[in-house]
Amino acid sequence: MVKGRRQNLWCILLLLAAALGFAADSQRATVIRDAGLYASAGSTAQKLAQVPRGSDLTVLEKSNANNQPWVKVSMAADQAQVSREVTGWLPAQALITAATPDGDQIIFGQAVDSERQAEERGGRKGAARDAMRLYGQVAELFPSSPQAAEAMWRSADIRWQLAKGDLLRSGTPMQETYLQAVITRFPQSKQAELAAYDLLEGKLCSEWRGLAECPQKETALYEQYAKDHPQSPKAPEALYNAAWRQAALTDMYRIDGDPAKSDTARKKATALAQQIGTQYPQSDFKLRALDLIYKLEKKIPVYGPAIE
Amino acid sequence: MFRLKRMFPAVVLALAASLMAQDKEQGTLINEAMIYVSPDTSSAHLARATRGRDVPLVMDRTTISNQVWAHVLVVVDVDLDRETSRQVTGWVPSNMVVSNATRNGDQIIFGEATDSENQAEQRGGRKGAAQDAMRLYYRLYEYFPNSPLAGEALWRSADIRWQLEKSDVMARPVSQEMRPDMRDGMDEEFMKLVIKKFPRTKWADLASFDLIDNKLCGSWKGEPRCPEKESEIYEKYAREHPDSPKAAEALFNAAWRQAVLVDMLKAGEHDKSEKARKKSMELAQEIVSRFPEGDWKPRALELIFALQQGIATYDVENKKPIS
Repeated sequence: MVKGRRQNLWCILLLLAAALGFAADSQRATVIRDAGLYASAGSTAQKLAQVPRGSDLTVLEKSNANNQPWVKVSMAADQAQVSREVTGWLPAQALITAATPDGDQIIFGQAVDSERQAEERGGRKGAARDAMRLYGQVAELFPSSPQAAEAMWRSADIRWQLAKGDLLRSGTPMQETYLQAVITRFPQSKQAELAAYDLLEGKLCSEWRGLAECPQKETALYEQYAKDHPQSPKAPEALYNAAWRQAALTDMYRIDGDPAKSDTARKKATALAQQIGTQYPQSDFKLRALDLIYKLEKKIPVYGPAIE
Repeated sequence: MFRLKRMFPAVVLALAASLMAQDKEQGTLINEAMIYVSPDTSSAHLARATRGRDVPLVMDRTTISNQVWAHVLVVVDVDLDRETSRQVTGWVPSNMVVSNATRNGDQIIFGEATDSENQAEQRGGRKGAAQDAMRLYYRLYEYFPNSPLAGEALWRSADIRWQLEKSDVMARPVSQEMRPDMRDGMDEEFMKLVIKKFPRTKWADLASFDLIDNKLCGSWKGEPRCPEKESEIYEKYAREHPDSPKAAEALFNAAWRQAVLVDMLKAGEHDKSEKARKKSMELAQEIVSRFPEGDWKPRALELIFALQQGIATYDVENKKPIS
């Protein structure tokens, strides 16, 4: 009886080992240039699909055709714009796997290039999404790379900025998953602080409509961020945003005929702006804070009509 | 002797003018403001003045109903399209004027300029914010020439002007001409002023880098002489400005153009193509070793990988770079 159970265990272990062996053979990879996916190795074969940069690929087989290395890959079905699992051949020139020397930096370099393309007038269509996928691949294929945290953050940030555009156009809600993942995987890092800053945007009012409630709530959010993340590159900006919202409240309450509340907001705005000067003397925001203090002193409105 | 006598009154006059200029209260507006005929908001409007407008003279101040007013000479727009302006004398709320007599005036103007620049970059930001920033930075340099912020302010002003003009120039069909001398380039006056007034500074280095734009071909049309020439220009820049924040970018631009030449020359001139490949690799390697921090090292490594794998950088058939 015991012997029979032991035999069963051996069979399971063997099967498991075989499965693991197969998984090790089928490497994960990506491409740093757009490539065609063909039915067989060689560019004369039938073209099945286009593989965009940064695609999540699994290498199944390797071959040579026309003196050129080719790889058989399957593309993950859960990628954007790909609704099914596709298998085919592509030239191996632009393929990067975890075994490629400096692979992390090569993918990162192409991601930077794509990001730059996205920022240029007349840049490549879809370059922002290419950059987002490529940065994502650095963290996926090279989790121990020194670039992993930065790449994961940049990928999540591009996704966030694109989602922001979608929200404005179609009202599609923004998903926090990717930014939260940066915070979970790289806690206490600069990238986690940047991700936490991005997440504040999801908590801001879409429009103030002249109501004090919004700038009050937003001041508290930014002030709390600056308290929780004093070393963040975004801390001076957060303090400035808090100060500016209090300056806006100064005008709102003045327009509403509530001088006491207006004065309280003015004092709070001044204190927050002064804090930037003392806490972050090297920041560009120090000078913006000085400008704000001057406007508060001279009662120059920051909210309302351009000219009163 | 006679010459000296004749020169003396001229020197005295020049000195007096200079002293007067130093004594004059001059500045700019840090907020959009209405210019009134008299110190009273119910009086007739003379003009509307935007941020950064030149206030070459503050003549007087008066307080009416607890509000301080400044009597100013201010330069305002007449025709935005033709970029014409005129001088107006009128009254403006004094708090809008930041002058050479304002404590921390340079920092306040810089802060307002940064704020305007930020507005210009935002989707739905204030209309004309880039021009506001450009003027504000320039006023800082003009009226606070000894400020530690003067060099950076003049550079930022010149750069905003350059980018605005570049966007206009590049939108014209003539911008696609291969030779740079076939098109009207960007006006170099303010960039050259940065280099002249703040030589051997980071700002002069940045201005020199911008000036390269005027020497680049509009389009290459598959001709190797353009990327060859441009590679030389960028490499020369990197050698002459080794400490510039743009040195790594210049080297990368030079290396990338050599990579383009590899593809352009591959079909007919194999030796030259191979030489370009080596040159491109050398330049990219230099970036890797000289600039280990930042984004240029990974970009250079990616270029090296592309060269090693024979991944094309230039589409010879369609005569355009592969982006």
